[in-house]
Amino acid sequence: MTANSLHQTGQAARTRTRPGRSRRAEARVAVLFLLPAILLVLVFRIFPLFWGFGISLTSATSTDPGQFIGAGNYLRALDDPNFRSAMANAVVVLLSVPIFVTIPMLLAILIHQGVPGRTFFRSVYFFPAILSSVIIGSIFSVVLSFNGNLNALLSIAGISGVDWLGHSATALPVTLAIQCWSTFGMGVLIFLAGLSTVSKEMVEAARLDGAKMWQIWWHVIIPELRPIIEFSTVITTIGLLTSMFGLIYVLTGGGPGTATTVPEYLIWAAQGKLNRPAYAAAVSMVLFFMTSILAWLQIRILSRNANI
Amino acid sequence: MQKLKILTAIATMVVASPALAQEITVWDVNVDDAAHATYYDHAKAAFEAAHPGATLNLLSQPDAEYYTLLGTALASKAGPDVIWANGGAQAKALVGGLIPLDDKLPDLIPKLVGKSAFTGPDGKLYFIPTTLQGHVVYYNKALYKAAGLDPEKPPTSWAELTKVCDAFKAQGKPACFMMANKEGYNAEFFLSEAANQSLTTQQQADWLAGKLHWSDPPIKAILQAWVDTAKNGWYQEGGNSQTMFMDEFALFEQGVGANVMGLLSNVAHWKQFETNMGVEKVGVYPMPSPTVAADQHEGAPGVPLDGGVGYGVNKDSANIDLAVDAVRILASPEVLSYLVNDTGSVPANTEVNTSGIDSPGLKQIMGWLATRAVPTTHANSSAAELDEWHHQSQLLFNGEATVDQAAAALDKVQAEAKPQ
Repeated sequence: MTANSLHQTGQAARTRTRPGRSRRAEARVAVLFLLPAILLVLVFRIFPLFWGFGISLTSATSTDPGQFIGAGNYLRALDDPNFRSAMANAVVVLLSVPIFVTIPMLLAILIHQGVPGRTFFRSVYFFPAILSSVIIGSIFSVVLSFNGNLNALLSIAGISGVDWLGHSATALPVTLAIQCWSTFGMGVLIFLAGLSTVSKEMVEAARLDGAKMWQIWWHVIIPELRPIIEFSTVITTIGLLTSMFGLIYVLTGGGPGTATTVPEYLIWAAQGKLNRPAYAAAVSMVLFFMTSILAWLQIRILSRNANI
Repeated sequence: MQKLKILTAIATMVVASPALAQEITVWDVNVDDAAHATYYDHAKAAFEAAHPGATLNLLSQPDAEYYTLLGTALASKAGPDVIWANGGAQAKALVGGLIPLDDKLPDLIPKLVGKSAFTGPDGKLYFIPTTLQGHVVYYNKALYKAAGLDPEKPPTSWAELTKVCDAFKAQGKPACFMMANKEGYNAEFFLSEAANQSLTTQQQADWLAGKLHWSDPPIKAILQAWVDTAKNGWYQEGGNSQTMFMDEFALFEQGVGANVMGLLSNVAHWKQFETNMGVEKVGVYPMPSPTVAADQHEGAPGVPLDGGVGYGVNKDSANIDLAVDAVRILASPEVLSYLVNDTGSVPANTEVNTSGIDSPGLKQIMGWLATRAVPTTHANSSAAELDEWHHQSQLLFNGEATVDQAAAALDKVQAEAKPQ
């Protein structure tokens, strides 16, 4: 081997090692950039999750760390009529998801089709989304009370009043209707964003082929919106399971009986009213499990759509 | 030598600084209430005069989330030195985080009334009550007169009360009784008011111990009375969606209902109604028993009564002795007199001078307190039982559950909360 060839070999080795070093340096910088976010997630998400799971296995109260009782709180939940009622209500809430998705989708399509005054409607629909649930709850408490505006309107038509929020048969459907009213504006925006990606040429081609309006919707627009519908379904479901507390607290206090008690409300009642943080932690873990399944579905659906 | 003096001075200051900077923190939900301001100002001044260099820091807490915040703070050993609490289930749930005060304030405790609401399962006193809380029925004399009833003769038996409500029902409006049970509080009040002259002293003790059950005849009869009064149209419609402290008492003052189950202290009490409606319009009576005839109940007529609010000392406080003294001052007759005069609260300390208050309603109430005061039944229930009673009372009110179903559900909760 000549000196020249040795020199060339050394150079080749250096050119091989330089990118390696560079990648390691890049990786170190990347880790440094990621570290604050990772630490925040670890400290404020992962650690409390395991801490809460630990508490759920004890008999702790606010003033007593309690004893390890294994699955005691989980078994207690199975025997708790309030927990069973909260889970049954959660199922009703989940069954209402198609309504929460369909209404904003239809309204968004109408706006996108260019109904007169669409800018006005877009703003008005979004308006409730910027109000806090406490304000919305307070407004509807007045409107729906027995001596409230709705019953006053009904009495003009000769219809006797109903205690909308005070009867088990009406309290949950009415609460869900208010939740739908207060959140559909955000759904409209999401669907409008999705509609902007629907091919105008395809819609025009369908129209030229003689397709009627509903046929265009059913065969062209809605299939194109499928990824948005799936995304909206998943985020609406998670939102309904984890962000109705404020509205329920103000509107019904979980009642009458347990007619509007959902798992997140039960968690608050166990901790704030009954001094049972360990039981509250156990119900929280159950709710976490439910939302985790939905999050997994979300990731699966989004990944599948990304590959389409 | 000069250096030694300087070092000694610095060392003295360092050692003394914690004492100089001593601060006693009090958590209380009423600190921002203007009517309580004079009371707190005098308590702070008295404490800081008695302990130069120390400060009394009164921190206002939100009423609705108070026990959640307090529970979290105590669990993480970051709670205040002095803790305010309502008597009954809420106070009793906190005793594990407090020190017993029996040996700390031996001179003050014998002068107090309403201690059972603040007594732990070990029989020790964990809070010093400052005000008493109890229940009476307030009525609108003008509405009684308009309905053809004698406004100076309130009902003294269940039969008379039924006649009163029949008279209002015949008129259509106003409602005989105001009802606001969205949070379940009206059901709590009803339980204590109806049990007042229905239960014997022994039965009250058995209730506290969990030996008298919800399905036992004396309590089941109260549940039945709750159902019957609703069914017989004693209340205005929509009671299950009406809030008590936001709506009910204001509506009573406006004449929407002729009677209301009210309190003795703080709010919804004689002073509030006499101020807002006029002294001449407000009458008061203890609710008669729905189950025991007026001439057959035990003892003289009285009112259900217990410690209303009180102060306890956090066992993790760094300054327990100072915190105890803060409680002593907050409950002292001199300081409490400002609270009584400004808010109309009935004091738990018998040495507070109330002679300056000229109210016919209060005089009647004080007379009943002197003859017979029984514990409030709801304060002697566990928090879990009360929560379940909130639920069941709403279902009973709507006719969505039977008395037997409600009693069975409540028995189950009671058995878990007060195991025998």
